[in-house]
Amino acid sequence: MLDLIVFISLLAMGYGFGRYSESKHYISIRKREKQLNAIPAIASRIPPHGNPNFDSHLVSGSVVISVDYFKRFIAGLRNIVGGRVSTYETLLDRARREAILRMKEDAQQRGAEMVFNIKLETASIHKGQRGAIGSVEVLAYGTALIPNT
Amino acid sequence: MEYSNPELPEGINTGESNHLKDFVILTTGVIGVIIITLTVLITIVDNFADKIPFEVEQSLPVDIFFKQKSNESLPPYLKNISEKVIQSFDLPEPMKITVHYVNSDTVNAYATLGGHIVLYRGLLEKLKHEDELAMLIAHEVAHVKYRHPILSVSHGIVMGVVMSLLSTSAGTSAISDLMGHTGMVTLMQYSREYEYQSDKDAIQAIVKIYGHAEGARGLFEVLNSVQKNNEPIELFSTHPLTDNRIIQANQMNKKYSEPNKAHNFTPLSAEFESWLISQKEKNKLSIRKQ
Repeated sequence: MLDLIVFISLLAMGYGFGRYSESKHYISIRKREKQLNAIPAIASRIPPHGNPNFDSHLVSGSVVISVDYFKRFIAGLRNIVGGRVSTYETLLDRARREAILRMKEDAQQRGAEMVFNIKLETASIHKGQRGAIGSVEVLAYGTALIPNT
Repeated sequence: MEYSNPELPEGINTGESNHLKDFVILTTGVIGVIIITLTVLITIVDNFADKIPFEVEQSLPVDIFFKQKSNESLPPYLKNISEKVIQSFDLPEPMKITVHYVNSDTVNAYATLGGHIVLYRGLLEKLKHEDELAMLIAHEVAHVKYRHPILSVSHGIVMGVVMSLLSTSAGTSAISDLMGHTGMVTLMQYSREYEYQSDKDAIQAIVKIYGHAEGARGLFEVLNSVQKNNEPIELFSTHPLTDNRIIQANQMNKKYSEPNKAHNFTPLSAEFESWLISQKEKNKLSIRKQ
């Protein structure tokens, strides 16, 4: 009986806090994405032609986000029956967008006009019990083009 | 060349999924699958388990476990009552009951494979009347009669196999816990049914001896008070004493008791009670020596 109470409160806590921090995070992501839209992040490997008066700098942003108890539980059940692990989809979506934003903030501080050749890397940095995903790191990096006038 | 990052529409990567709905569907689904799988397998296994000859059970050396704990022989009074109870059962031919006694504070009594019944001093001490002692022994004999020990062992094996297969595929320990608890609850349904079944036969047996079944009520009262005092009582971690069991006992007592006979408890023999006290002292001394 005690087990059940602990289990349900962990689930409820995971769901409550997880949902709260996720919606807060999404609001902040959307706001900052609009603000930083002036600095485009381009995946192309080749720098734009025409203007040679740019300095180039490596810029990066990384973020680590932990999964909550509720998300992990659902993902665990999905492990058995298969299907879209929707709880992890939002987790990684948030992490990727946050990493790009941090990279762009880095570029903005250096006075860059744009970032090209951006790349994303994902790693699960903490394996929980039986290799269940605990938290993920997403790293975004690219070359910032800074006008050298 | 112009470069820009257009604002992307939301929901491409994440989708519009309701996590709570997911949770309800997945959890009930997994619980349902476990209950159905276990029930089907147990139904199949039950068909085979009680066809295993009793001699096979008897050939297993189960008694070495409790002989290790205590080598005490039964006092004549306990032996006498056990024989009376066993005789009132008309057990089929190869079935033979062996009653064992363990000198330990544990409040427990159980029947196991091979017709062995084990009584712990902890529980014997709590009994107030002979009727209760007879009911206790009769209850365990009824378990053997219906071959509940071998059925329970088979259920345990089914559960073990199913759980070891399933829990390896579970990602987190929370999920294997969920599966384990579901399995336990499923198995408990069977063991509860066995308790009702054994109570029925035990009551009929003690009515044959005493003319009434007050012993059943007395025994359940003792067990209830032990449970309330939170003493370590292993008997009910596997099969809790529910109110339904008491209701059933009372109904049967009314139905089967001889109408014109006073429902008086038969006292325990004084010799037996002093023997129990001496056993307790002996146990204390042996613990101190260790």
